[in-house]
Amino acid sequence: MGLVPGLATGLGITFKEIIKTVVKGAETVQYPHEKEEPAPRARGVIALHEENCTSCMLCARECPDWCIYIEGHKELAPPRRAGGKPRSVNKLDRFDIDYSLCMYCGICVEVCPFEALFWSPEYEYSELKIADLLHDKTKLGKWMTTVPEFEAYEAGAEVKAKKVPALEKK
Amino acid sequence: MTAISDRRQLAYVASQAAEARVNLELETEGMTLNIGPQHPATHGTLRIVAQLDGEQVIQAEPIMGYMHRGYEKLTEVRTYPQVTTLVNRIDWLGSFANEVPFILACEQLMDIEAPPRAQHIRTILHEMARMAHVTLFLGDLGVQLGAITPVFYAFRDREHILNQIESATGGRFHPNFDRIGGVKDDLPAGWIAESKQAVRKIRDFCNTIEDLLFGNEIFQARTRGIGVIPADIGLSYGLSGANIRASGVDWDLRRDNPNGLAYDKVDWKVWTHPDGDSFARSWVRLQEVREACNIVEQLLDTLPKGPIMAKVPRIIKVPEGEAYVSTENPLGEMGYYVVSKGGLTPFRVKIRTASFNNMSITPWVLKGTYVPDVITILASLYFILGDIDR
Repeated sequence: MGLVPGLATGLGITFKEIIKTVVKGAETVQYPHEKEEPAPRARGVIALHEENCTSCMLCARECPDWCIYIEGHKELAPPRRAGGKPRSVNKLDRFDIDYSLCMYCGICVEVCPFEALFWSPEYEYSELKIADLLHDKTKLGKWMTTVPEFEAYEAGAEVKAKKVPALEKK
Repeated sequence: MTAISDRRQLAYVASQAAEARVNLELETEGMTLNIGPQHPATHGTLRIVAQLDGEQVIQAEPIMGYMHRGYEKLTEVRTYPQVTTLVNRIDWLGSFANEVPFILACEQLMDIEAPPRAQHIRTILHEMARMAHVTLFLGDLGVQLGAITPVFYAFRDREHILNQIESATGGRFHPNFDRIGGVKDDLPAGWIAESKQAVRKIRDFCNTIEDLLFGNEIFQARTRGIGVIPADIGLSYGLSGANIRASGVDWDLRRDNPNGLAYDKVDWKVWTHPDGDSFARSWVRLQEVREACNIVEQLLDTLPKGPIMAKVPRIIKVPEGEAYVSTENPLGEMGYYVVSKGGLTPFRVKIRTASFNNMSITPWVLKGTYVPDVITILASLYFILGDIDR
């Protein structure tokens, strides 16, 4: 077994790759200058659609590491029809997600029965202080603008495609 | 006792004594070498205490548990849907493959069978996890031997598979996609065509790495005949996966026990190698990536129509009973023994991970090897620290 053929083939491959890189450019995404687009399903950050939340606490209870904090109170809203009884509505006081604890499992988004939580593929929210990773409901609400539309499914799927609720214009 | 009278015999005894004296003078004290816990060649925090005589290892003992996270205990206080989040993190390179046996064990206890479409998606993602996992192994193998280039190619080409996993499941590393009774969501439109392209890139990578590494004479000299594990020794230590197939044992759970997965619907082959050395272990893994490409391509073409979830209650309670289900992880046999008392959480989960048993052969296989070979043998045995300690 000579020492040349295998080594020469290997060097040939490396040389080909060098040529490819010089001609086509590097495969690496030059991050701060250009951003990579994650898949629409990517679990980046959780967005809260506050109008839909009834503070039912399901997400907080199902969260494997209990990083969702919810407080709410009941309020009387005017009746829908004239002469009716005033409705009692759950108002959200506090909805915090602690991203320093979050495991990004997506269970909260999945169990939400009122479609108040959505995944956004946004990922640029690192902080210098760990306490700043606790996102309150206004901050979580702002992520709603970055939520992409749900994708269509592959042929043969029987699942109905979901829709992201339209944001109220303020 | 007979007196020594013969002259030649006397001369022989005298020469032996002289040699012994010389050996005594030359004898050096044995050295204890700690490889790890913080050492790049141990892929994490594994510590190997090796007793050395010069360059030779007399005795080696792996010390595990630096990364113990107590997953078996944690599963007892998590509901069944929450457990998949945890078990994702056992073997972090092939996360999806960790979820499957747990879900299958729960399905067996609840007497549910996932619909065919879900089974196909599961199998595709399982094999994609294997591709991503072993691709990195093939690149990493070069680094352990001093060749730096393959690992860059491996990271580059693994990305295509990870992107596919991400666009289907939402998580690059921790998919958390498998549910009791099916999978979480259906595949997005265009995923099949993109996956075929990604698989083609992995095939190209396999060809590249075969020329770059497996044909290389230095690589062959460093791995052929090193760390030989005979089949009977390997079986008695409980090796599984590619490590035992490299010793010539034709054993693959994907073929022998395809419970709840679609392996029996595809035409594929189990690769074995008669040698049992480091080269054979690496070679079998290379062939397995190619076989995984085969399986995924066939399954993508034959994806059946239909639902992706069986009828499952909203709050999952698993009836009383016990079940053990194991599947072929990228590392070997991974199994979950789930004991349920009928509640919301498992009563006890025993996790059988492949790396832990694969690791147990190290004292035997490292005995008498040389220090540079320790690294190649460990690399070719291929373990993930999270998988050992869990």
